[in-house]
Amino acid sequence: MSTNWSVSSLWTCLCVLCFLAAPSAVRASGDTLSIRSRHELRVERYRYAWSRLIPHYSKVQYAGGMGLVSLGIGWDYGRNQQWETDMMLGIIPRYSSDEAKLAFTIKENFTPWSLPLGSSVRVYPFSGGIYFNTVFNNEFWTTEPDRYPSGYYGFSTRLRTHLFVGQRVRFMIPDRKRVFSNSITFYYELSTCDLYLISAVTNHLRPRDYLRLSFGLKLAVF
Amino acid sequence: MTLRQLLNSVCVPLMCWLLLGCDMFEAHPYDALVRGETDINARSASRIALQTEDKDTIRFAFISDTQRWYDETKKAVADINQRQDIDFVIHGGDLSDFGATHEFVMQRDILLRLRQPWVALLGNHDCLGTGESVHQRIFGPLNFYFTAGQVLFVCLNTNCMEYDYSEPVPDFGFLDSVIANVPAGIRHTVVAMHVPPFDLEFNNNVARVFQAYLHQLPGLLCCIYGHGHRYAVDDLFGDGIQYLQTPCIEKRAYLLFTLTPDGYEHQLVSF
Repeated sequence: MSTNWSVSSLWTCLCVLCFLAAPSAVRASGDTLSIRSRHELRVERYRYAWSRLIPHYSKVQYAGGMGLVSLGIGWDYGRNQQWETDMMLGIIPRYSSDEAKLAFTIKENFTPWSLPLGSSVRVYPFSGGIYFNTVFNNEFWTTEPDRYPSGYYGFSTRLRTHLFVGQRVRFMIPDRKRVFSNSITFYYELSTCDLYLISAVTNHLRPRDYLRLSFGLKLAVF
Repeated sequence: MTLRQLLNSVCVPLMCWLLLGCDMFEAHPYDALVRGETDINARSASRIALQTEDKDTIRFAFISDTQRWYDETKKAVADINQRQDIDFVIHGGDLSDFGATHEFVMQRDILLRLRQPWVALLGNHDCLGTGESVHQRIFGPLNFYFTAGQVLFVCLNTNCMEYDYSEPVPDFGFLDSVIANVPAGIRHTVVAMHVPPFDLEFNNNVARVFQAYLHQLPGLLCCIYGHGHRYAVDDLFGDGIQYLQTPCIEKRAYLLFTLTPDGYEHQLVSF
């Protein structure tokens, strides 16, 4: 089924491409100049569309349930760049388990306010958000394997949802000292995950049993 | 404020907090990083053997399925601790609900407040994610036995469905070695497991073979298990061997067993 689908969709794509290419092929013998400029325009638009996908910054984070150390890229947007979306890859050491594991995280950050502290420092008194984490390891499952009756455990061992709040401080790098980044942000976060939250609401637990700490750096390219 | 004052007032407390709170820096809920006590079953086994060496009457509490019921588990520990007549405690498995590492650690730390030695079996929930590795790290081998007075306690991993035939569960090889090496002076046997025969989780193709194996153990008294979250007593195979199920800890109850040279009695204790 899936093979058939991919073959037919490939054909469709080829047909569309031929159709798009056809008029310029016909006119190629006539006016070369106008074809080039149209082509250039298209290439420009094409480059611009893809350039918007260039990550704005990279991040490195310690702990927080997404790996002992995680590296990632991301994009900030919004009127004051108050929204951020990160994609991070973390490494979970082996410890007492069978092997070390890789974890992938998509993180959405919201940092609504900032206060200037001198000319080159900004403080962000609140940041918060959510992240979704998955582990690349076949001991974990998204839905229960077939051997279980459906709903036997009723949750996914692989996918975790975390909520966090934190604070940040951002240091602008003076022009002449810039190498790659224009600013460095230090952040720390207090987080919890779905499994801990459900344990906390049904018991009297100490905060350290369901809250987790993490910190990290954001290196802004532009 | 001088630099020294700043260091003393801000940095030192901050460093202390970071050091104390270091287990709050977690790589992953399933990271299997175990701090604190490990290999509990083996140490408890030698304590139990030593403390019950000359005893004719053995009394133990059997709790099970404490997953995500931390408050109730604490109350069970408090109730057991106030009794003077219990020699040891057996936990029938399912310490964790999701198999997450910190669940095991929290349960371990609550149960370590028991004055009596205690051992824990593997439950099906304990197998999720990296749970089995964590359980093994904290408690030791998944099939084990110990002696109390003249009674042999055989504790078995019977969570067959979790292994999907990738490992021998129940492990007849282990039972063979127990049967071949019964310590001297043993007159009776109690078998503890998490999942009973004929449960969905058990490998029911070998249920009767399993029971035939158990009958090779000296003076089989009874089998005790958890998993079903309610009190039950059944002669599962019609051969006079009772299977006794202890309720989950949420029911605020556990089973209290008294073993004498003539047999055994049990009592459902509510707290």
